[in-house]
Amino acid sequence: MVAISNVMSAAAVPARDLSFEDLVHEHERMVFSIAYRFLQNAAAAEEVAQDVFLDLFRNLSRLESAAHVTFWLRRVACHRSIDYARRNRNAASEVSWDDLGDLAPGDGRVKHNEDPMLSKRLRQVVATLPEKMRMVIILRYQEDAGLEEIAQAMKIPLNTVKSTLHRAHALLREKIGTAIGEGNI
Amino acid sequence: MNDKLEQELKKALRRTDPPAGFAERVLARAAKEEQAKLAREKRRFQWFGMSGLRLGVTCALCLIVAASGMIYQHERHQQGEQAKEQLMLALRITSSKLEIANQGIRQINSPEQRPE
Repeated sequence: MVAISNVMSAAAVPARDLSFEDLVHEHERMVFSIAYRFLQNAAAAEEVAQDVFLDLFRNLSRLESAAHVTFWLRRVACHRSIDYARRNRNAASEVSWDDLGDLAPGDGRVKHNEDPMLSKRLRQVVATLPEKMRMVIILRYQEDAGLEEIAQAMKIPLNTVKSTLHRAHALLREKIGTAIGEGNI
Repeated sequence: MNDKLEQELKKALRRTDPPAGFAERVLARAAKEEQAKLAREKRRFQWFGMSGLRLGVTCALCLIVAASGMIYQHERHQQGEQAKEQLMLALRITSSKLEIANQGIRQINSPEQRPE
């Protein structure tokens, strides 16, 4: 109960009272991961993530609370990643599975009950999804965001999120099926 | 089937650590931007300060010019008034002299003065 009230009170702290440095340390994994998983390039992801935090630095006084900061960072990271991908679409060549690295989580740990080969293939397949689908999947499964949160972060209707997620599942099953053989998922 | 896929996706898509020194680079960029912002504000303040000074000097010059013009006009007006008064005085003197001369002429031409 005490822990919950502490979390609640921390989330309610006005954003202008929060230290920018603390916010960077607290949210760097989230912002970098969204950009990295979406762009599949560490240098590009760092550029986007830095720009997102600089945006936060400029707008910190306008944000209302710590919870608002988290929501805001997630939304800006989404949009900046999508914008970056669109700007550099012509420069980037078609992504193939062999071109992609593992895109494994930075800690390198393998979770209990995790099939490393299947996880690797899933990451690679997610990287080949169309932009909107890819971002929905990242927010849903990497950030554990609810459908409503995804709709707000991406500024799209809730029904669009649902249908996109449905189509993404179908596409993933199809691609994974061809990649590692039917029947695994 | 979807549950299995969702579980596998959650396992596969975990957050990634940013490269070493990421936070320091962000903070350095923010500090640089803050310095640039402060420098811009300082320049703007200086510019406004200089503008204020320029505006003050311009206003003072305008006031001086306007006051000089008014004083000049006033002096011209006074000179005109003096000249007018002098002219009026001269005309009055001339008029009185003419009146005296006219009286002298009338006396000379009057029948009492004329010889029989």
